[in-house]
Amino acid sequence: MELVQKAETRYDVLVVGAGLAGMEAAVDLGDMGFKVILVDKEPSIGGHMYLLSKVFPSLDCASCISGTKMSTSSHHPNVTLLTNSDVTQIVKEGEGKFRAEVHERPRYVDPSLCTSCGQCEEACPIIVPKELDYGLRGRKAVYIPFDTAVPKKAVVDIDHCIFCLQCERACPGGAIDFMQEPREHTLKVGAVILAVGFELFKPERKKEYHFGEFANVLTSMQMDRLLGPTRPYNALVRTSDGKEPQNIAYALCTGSRDRSLDNPRCSQVCCMYSMKQAQLILGSLPAANVTLYYMDIRAYGKGFEEFYQQSKAMGVRFVRGKVAKLEENANGDVEVYHEDTQGRGMVEKSTHDLVVLSVGLLPKPEVARAFTNAELKVDEAGWIQLADEDESAVRTSIDGVFAAGCATGPKDIPDSALEAAAAASECSAYLTRTRVAPDE
Amino acid sequence: MSERRPRIGVYVCHCGGNISDFVDVAEVSKALGEEADVVVSKDLMFDCSDASQSEMIADAKEKGLDRIVVAACSPKLHEATFRGTAKRAGLNPYMFYHANIREQASWAHEGDRKGATAKALGHARAAVAYVSLAEPLERPRIESSKAVLVIGGGVAGMKAALDLSGMGVHVYLVERAASLGGHVAELGKVYPYGREGPAVAGRLVDELSGRENVTIFTNAEVESQKGYIGRFEVVIKVSPIPGAEERITVRVASVVVATGFESYRPLKGEFGYGIVKGVIDLPELLALQKGSGGGALEYEGRVVKDVAFVYCVGSRQKDIPAASGETPARVNKYCSRYCCNAAINESMVLSKEHKGMTTYHLYRDIRTYGRNELMYEQAAKEGSIFIRFDEDNPPEVFQKDGRCGVTVRSALLENQPLQLTVDLVVLVTGMVPRPNEGLNGLLTLPIGSDGFYREIHQKLRPVETNIGGLLIAGTSQGPKDIRETLASASAASAKAASFALKKELELEPFVAVVDPQLCHLNGACIKECPYDAIEVREGKAWVNTAKCKGCGACVAVCPTEAVQLRGLRNAQVKAMIQAMVR
Repeated sequence: MELVQKAETRYDVLVVGAGLAGMEAAVDLGDMGFKVILVDKEPSIGGHMYLLSKVFPSLDCASCISGTKMSTSSHHPNVTLLTNSDVTQIVKEGEGKFRAEVHERPRYVDPSLCTSCGQCEEACPIIVPKELDYGLRGRKAVYIPFDTAVPKKAVVDIDHCIFCLQCERACPGGAIDFMQEPREHTLKVGAVILAVGFELFKPERKKEYHFGEFANVLTSMQMDRLLGPTRPYNALVRTSDGKEPQNIAYALCTGSRDRSLDNPRCSQVCCMYSMKQAQLILGSLPAANVTLYYMDIRAYGKGFEEFYQQSKAMGVRFVRGKVAKLEENANGDVEVYHEDTQGRGMVEKSTHDLVVLSVGLLPKPEVARAFTNAELKVDEAGWIQLADEDESAVRTSIDGVFAAGCATGPKDIPDSALEAAAAASECSAYLTRTRVAPDE
Repeated sequence: MSERRPRIGVYVCHCGGNISDFVDVAEVSKALGEEADVVVSKDLMFDCSDASQSEMIADAKEKGLDRIVVAACSPKLHEATFRGTAKRAGLNPYMFYHANIREQASWAHEGDRKGATAKALGHARAAVAYVSLAEPLERPRIESSKAVLVIGGGVAGMKAALDLSGMGVHVYLVERAASLGGHVAELGKVYPYGREGPAVAGRLVDELSGRENVTIFTNAEVESQKGYIGRFEVVIKVSPIPGAEERITVRVASVVVATGFESYRPLKGEFGYGIVKGVIDLPELLALQKGSGGGALEYEGRVVKDVAFVYCVGSRQKDIPAASGETPARVNKYCSRYCCNAAINESMVLSKEHKGMTTYHLYRDIRTYGRNELMYEQAAKEGSIFIRFDEDNPPEVFQKDGRCGVTVRSALLENQPLQLTVDLVVLVTGMVPRPNEGLNGLLTLPIGSDGFYREIHQKLRPVETNIGGLLIAGTSQGPKDIRETLASASAASAKAASFALKKELELEPFVAVVDPQLCHLNGACIKECPYDAIEVREGKAWVNTAKCKGCGACVAVCPTEAVQLRGLRNAQVKAMIQAMVR
C-alpha cells in the first residue's frame, strides 16, 4: 500500500502565493488562455488584504476587492487552486521547463463532504488565539478560516488538537478524517510567478515600545481588525478594558528606517495606512483625538498627498518626531516620549489612552531556498532581487521566474496590482518565446 | 395560457458598513421581499464574496429564480461580477440588475439614515421593476484585430510594445518626435544602477528594432479614430519632413496611451526663477551637467561650488497667487513621487563628479519610500545637508554679489532665518500632465482632478479607462519612476493582449433596434445618430449593431417609439421611474 499519494500534473504557470498579487497574476494569465496553478500555504486563498478594513486613498472596502478576486480565482476555468500547501522545490529543467514539488498538508477534513456548517467548530473544546485576528479573538482547533474563505471548508489544527473526536461525532456529513495523509504533487510548468508577499515586523523586537507588556499598545494590523467589517467587538474599544479610546497615538516607522533593528528601509505603506486608520477612527469616534508621530509623511502615490491634506483638515494631529519610548501609567494609559522638532526642540511626554504601532513590512526570503539548481537572488535585506530594474519590474535572476507585489519589496495595493499584471504580461511573452503554446 | 410569473431574488449588500452604516439594509430587504414576484430577499455582509455568490446560485437552483437584483456598490465595480454569478446560476446574465445604493444612497446621504434608506429602497424597487420586464440578451461576437496601437515612444510605450510583440501581437508604435526614447533619453545617471538615461532608453530601442512585428512611426501623430474595442480604425499622420505628409490607416484591437508627462515649468519669480541669476530647474541642471562634459561644472562662466535644492516646486501646491495681469497657474495638489529620489540621486552624482561641492536640500518631507531610503541615508552620510522647512514658511531666494542664495527657516533652529549663499539654486520640479488637447478629444480620454488620465479603479482596473479597449500606461496616468513605469506598461500590455489574442470578443448587447411595424421613417434617428449607425433598408430605419454604441440618442427623437434600446426598453424605463416615485 502506498502511503504517500503522488500526482504529476502539467500547467503553463505556477503562481506561488494567493494574495492580491498572486490572484491577479493567475486570473490575468487565465484570461489569456494559460493554465495556471495557484498555490498558497494557508487553508484559504486571499493573503493579507481581506483582513483590512477600508483601503487608501479611496477608502473603498478591502473585501469588495479581494473577496471578488478570491471568487474569480476559484471559478476561473483556467485556474486551479492548491491551498494548505508548501512549495518545497523548484527545479529549472530548461527554458520553459520547470518542475515543482509541492507538499499538501492534510486538512483532516474531506472537502467534498464538508459544507462549512460549523458544527465541528461548536463541538471542539480547544480554543487558541486566532492568527487572522492577531490574537484579538480565539478560534477552535477545528475551524473554518473565516466567513468568506475560499475554499470555505473546515481545517483541523493538528498541533492543538487533543483527538477527543468530538468534531468527528458532531459532523453531519462525516467529513472529518484523521486518516488523511499529506499529498505530494509534482508539477510540470512552463514558468513561475512568485507572489509570496511580506511578513509584518514583530513589534516585540522594539523593546522601548513594550508591545505585549503594556495593555494598551496595539499593532496597526490589530487596529485594522478593530475597524474592519468583521471586527471582533463590533465597536472600537480598548481591548484591555473595553473603554472607548479618546486620545490615540500612532508611532510611525515601528521597525522601519531603524538601523538598530536591522531595517534601515522605509516600508512604503505605513504613513498611508496610519492616516487611513486615523480617518476611520474619526469617523466612528468623532470626539476622539488622533495624533501621528512621524519622521516624514510619505504620501507619494496617486491621490495620496490629497489624502494627507484631507486628514489634516479632518483634525488628525501630526507631530514630527519619532517616538523614543513608551511608559505605562497605573490606569493603563501610555506616556509617549518624543522629540518636538517643530516647537522648542525639547523631549516631550504626552499621555494617550491607546498607542498603535505602525509596523513595517519585512521580506519572506525562504522561497529562494526552494530553487535547487538555479540561484534566485535576494538583496541584502532578503527581498527578491530583480534582474535589471531598468528593463523590467518583474523579472528575477532566473529566466522564466517572475516576482510581483511585496515579494520584491514593500508595496501598496495599486502598485502590487500593477506588478501582478506586469508579471502576467512578461510571463506570457516568455511562454510564447519558449514555445509553450497556451491551451485554447 | 398564463405565462409563468417572474421569480426574482434580491440581495441587499451591507458592504461591510459602507452601506449599512447609513442605510437600514434589513428594512430595505424586508420591504423588497413584499414586492410582487420577489421570491427571496436577503441582506448579506458582502454580496460579492464567494460565499454570498454561492448562496445566490443555490437560491436560484432551489427556489427556481429566473432573475436577480443586487443592491450594492456602483455597477462599475461589480456588475460584471454578478452577471457572471447569474450565468453560473444558469440564468441569462442580462436577467440581472445592479442597483447602486452605496455611492448614490449611503455615501451621498451620510448622516441622514432615514433619507438614505428611502432612496436605497427606491433604487432597489426600480431594479426589481427592471428585471420584471427583462428579456434574455445575447452578446454580439466580433472578430478582433490582432494588432495594438501604442501612442508614445518613451519608456512606457516602448516597454508596452516589447511585451506585446513578445506575446505575438503586432504593434504600431507612434511617436511624435523624430526618435524614440522620450524623457529618459535626456536624463543623466539614473537610479538605482547609475546607468545613463540614453543607455536605458537605447537598450529598449535596440531591442525593439529587432522585432519583426513592430511597426514604428516617428514624426507621427494620431489624426483620427473610429471604431471600438476589438476594431479600432486609426489614421496616423506621418510627417518625416515638413510639407511631406503621409496617412496610414491601421486596424487594432486596443490602444495603449503612453504619452508621458511634462516637467513643471516654474513661473517667473517663483523662488526667483527667471529673475535671480543662478536659479534653475532640475532639467536645466541636467543639461548643464551634460554640457560640462565631465569637466568642472560651470554656470555662466563661474565654477559651481555650492548648490541648494528646493524641493516640491510645482507639487504639493496650495493656491499660488497670480502676478497682476497674469492668469493664475493651475494648482498641482499632488506629490510628484519621483522628485525626492531624483534630486538626491542627482546631488550624489554631482558630489561624486565634482569634489568639494556642498549640496543643501531644502525640503518639506523627504519621500524616499522603500529602498530609496538607503540613498537618502547615504547622501546624508556623504555630507549633503538636509534642512526641513514648514510649508507655510517657504525659503526665499536672493541675489548677492553675483551669487545667489536662499533664506530658510529651519524648524530645528527654532525658525531662525538661515542664509545660504550658493552658486546655483535648483528648483526640484515635478511632473505635470501633458495637455494633449487634440488626442484627448479624438480618443475621449478621461482625465482626473489632478490632470492625469484617470483609470477605472486604481486597484481593480488600474490601466483601463471607461472606454473599452483604451488603456493608459506610464506617467500619463500619474507620476512614476522608471521601474514603476515599466510595471504599468507591462500591465497595460497584459490587458491589451487579452483583447488582441482572443479569437472573438464579446460586446455589450445594449444596442438600438427598430421595430419595422412602427417605423414611419421620418428620418430623425438617422440625423441624430452620432455614429452613423442607422441606415435605410427596405423603406425602414435599420441599425448597424456593429457601429451602434447604445447611446440612445435615436430613442429620444423617435415619435413612434419604433427604435428602442435592447436591454433598456422604454417600458422598462417607465416602470423603473414609477417604482422609484411610488
